[in-house]
Amino acid sequence: MAIVACVALPNTFADDNESSATLYKASKVYTMDGDPLSPGQVLVVDGKIKAVGKNVDLGGVDLGGVEAESVDLGDNSVLMPGLVDAYSQTPLSSTGMDEITSEVTLDFQAIHSIDWDKNALRRQLHAGTTTVNASPGTQNVMGGTAAIVKTMDHGETVLVENGAMLAAMCNDPASRNFSRSRPDTIYVRQPTNRMGVVWILRNTFDKAKRSTDKDTYTKLKESVAGERPLMMVSRMSYDIVTVGTLADEFGFKPILVGGEEAYKVKAELIERGYPLILKYDNPGTTRGAEGSELCWNNPGILAEAGLTFAIAGDNLLEKARFARRFGLDADVAMASITSTPAEIIGVSDRVGKIAAGYDADLIAFTGEPLELTTSIRWVMVNGKTTDHQKEN
Amino acid sequence: MFKKTTFLAAVAVIALATTSNLHAQKPLAFKGAKIITMAGETIENGTIVFRDGKISDVGTDVKVPVEARVIDASDKVIMPGFVEAHTSSGMSQANETNPVVPYVSVIDSIDPMNAYFRSARRNGVTTVRVVPGNSTLIGGQAAVIKTGGEFIDDMVLKSDAGVKISLRPVSGSRMGHLAKLRKALDEAKRKLDKKNKAKEEKEDKDEDKEKDAKKKGVKKKDGDKDDKGKKKEAKKKDDDKKEGEKDEEKKDKDEKKDKKDNDKGKKKKKEDKDEKKSDDKKSKKKDEKDKPEEVESELDKAMFAILSGELPVMIYCDKAMDVGQAMRLIKQYNFEASLILGRECYKAAKQVADAKLPVVIDSQMVFFEEDPRTKEETKVVLPKVFRDHEVKFAFQVGRGGGTTLGSSYFWYQAATAVKYGMPAEEALEALTMLPAKFLGVDEFVGSIEKGKDADIIVLSGEPLSVDTWVDMTVVNGEIVYEKEKDEQLKLLLNGEAE
Repeated sequence: MAIVACVALPNTFADDNESSATLYKASKVYTMDGDPLSPGQVLVVDGKIKAVGKNVDLGGVDLGGVEAESVDLGDNSVLMPGLVDAYSQTPLSSTGMDEITSEVTLDFQAIHSIDWDKNALRRQLHAGTTTVNASPGTQNVMGGTAAIVKTMDHGETVLVENGAMLAAMCNDPASRNFSRSRPDTIYVRQPTNRMGVVWILRNTFDKAKRSTDKDTYTKLKESVAGERPLMMVSRMSYDIVTVGTLADEFGFKPILVGGEEAYKVKAELIERGYPLILKYDNPGTTRGAEGSELCWNNPGILAEAGLTFAIAGDNLLEKARFARRFGLDADVAMASITSTPAEIIGVSDRVGKIAAGYDADLIAFTGEPLELTTSIRWVMVNGKTTDHQKEN
Repeated sequence: MFKKTTFLAAVAVIALATTSNLHAQKPLAFKGAKIITMAGETIENGTIVFRDGKISDVGTDVKVPVEARVIDASDKVIMPGFVEAHTSSGMSQANETNPVVPYVSVIDSIDPMNAYFRSARRNGVTTVRVVPGNSTLIGGQAAVIKTGGEFIDDMVLKSDAGVKISLRPVSGSRMGHLAKLRKALDEAKRKLDKKNKAKEEKEDKDEDKEKDAKKKGVKKKDGDKDDKGKKKEAKKKDDDKKEGEKDEEKKDKDEKKDKKDNDKGKKKKKEDKDEKKSDDKKSKKKDEKDKPEEVESELDKAMFAILSGELPVMIYCDKAMDVGQAMRLIKQYNFEASLILGRECYKAAKQVADAKLPVVIDSQMVFFEEDPRTKEETKVVLPKVFRDHEVKFAFQVGRGGGTTLGSSYFWYQAATAVKYGMPAEEALEALTMLPAKFLGVDEFVGSIEKGKDADIIVLSGEPLSVDTWVDMTVVNGEIVYEKEKDEQLKLLLNGEAE
């Protein structure tokens, strides 16, 4: 391939068998690995980032026998790493995220329920999310294990197949059980309140602790021992406190998911140092899930208190923009949807940064990523860019 | 904690209101700002002076009155307050139970203490057209009002700002819905035609009164067949009899004479008739005077105003098919119309473009549509579609939530349009001058020019930027919002007031 200057679009479909090398030139590159480069260049070889710098010297790198194609993204172009969603049910098929016949399903795996053709998943890809921690839902107390996948390639790249255990320390399992008519039908069972949720959690952890049965409680044992991440969904301030109580009892260190009212218990969170995945849904309204009291600058307050967190859920970029508007530092906002979530879910050696050796997951923007007036030109996963979404 | 919010907010509003009243008489000036006038040039390091609710001066070389309160606005951006062309917020209830109510007015329903107005001032909206909801067939009358004020009378800029006709059936079919609409319109049209005809005739009569006296005898020979006419006939017979008697007296007269007499009789008949006719007229006129004048109902008045084009209509089109129906209605009834478009109406963009009417697009400006058969998804970007068809449109806000978190903010809609290709200049225009023109209030608001209403916003930075906040909102020369004193916002942002 010859070196072509000023090509508007990157080489979209590289032949799998043939090596390919492309040098992307942008006015600014947010590497999330130190200060942004302005201007910046990113060399992508065979789906991996080979080199990053203000000026990449092509002579010094091994391109696997091919010549690098050069793509100048033009004025005001900005590159940043593909977004990492630390907690989402979006990839799961709509009937495949919640088990409602049993409260503890430790061996259920989200990976078996991912609908690669789901429109909602494609939307997230086009909105910049390239890696997602697909987790079971919260309709039962312990839903199973999550999987970390890329959003584009139909399961070709599975980063973690059988990952974090999900536990619901919230009202979701209870509210479902409670909503069914009379308590004497077969549809109603425990828990129907928060005490019941806590009891089932405690009971399960206790069983796992005492059990010598390797097969049944292996995964939970791993989680308690810190070998497998344990995500606990908690939104209300008192639920977050309860997570702490259980953690003390059984000696695990959970990842806190939700955190709508985290700002109320920031002192406790600082003390415990749990990794935090904020859902931050619908900022700008006053009530969140479970009727939690939303505080628009929840991320900003937590950041100021010295806590590290990821922002998760759909439309990550839009959430980061509003977090920024409502008071979060811009750099922290950028990190909270890229490098920080990658770290929390344990894939920070592959995604979340633009650095040599990382997966070539990039987003090309028409301007500053956090500005509401900026649009996405393309999203790249493993060196392949998205085909343009059908737009009317 | 959030219960505190409402209370604090109420206090804040009252506090704001009182402080601003104190300054009402005093001229107000902002110095050192970048002023985006929306009337041509942008002034760097400019000064703007308000007096008696109007912009008395603006520019770089401006004399500030000594008595004026001067506010330093360096590093700030000043631009005209935003004009929202369509909202159903701010009312105690947006829709009526009865389907045809063009005589009610939103003015009776607007609650100045409604959270909408506080949010509007916070987000830079100074003028808004409050319009009845989309669930009433022929809704009430809209009003263009300012967002600052404690009582509606202080807020109104234009009270007869149109009537909403909604083409979306609340229940039942579209056939029935449109039939109901046409029935109401046709009934009113018949009445109006009758009224106009009567008026015309009356005018004609007054004009040709004398001529009529001569002419009508011939013209309306067989006109009246009322009681008097019958009496007349009876009298005629009597006359004939009398003449017959006379004839008998002159027994031996020949047939010719008889004939003559007959002719005479005829002639006399005619004279009688004429006499009677004028009598008729007199008595009829008397009747008209005695009868109490027919009272025109409020419904009739409003419907007549719509049909005569005095009262513009906003036609809400829910689906693309409604656009065509709207065009038919406009043609048939000669409406002075504008279009409020539901999100699906982008499919009728060409029709909308051809109509060349003022257009307000849906608040959900970006959404996805799934093909029912293939499940293939298409992303629809409304501002892009309508710009491609060269349609000039204004924005409206929605409830937010979903995929467009910010669509409850008016400025956010413009930012979204820019994101999808609209030049920033055009987007700012669509927040200010364009809607002002649509509403017919552009001589008062929409740009910063000498003599216009003193409605401006002071921004912390460039408009449409993610970091930019409205620091101050001025309506009619009064500061109606200050971010620094917005305790509710502080609570919402930080969970606690400072």
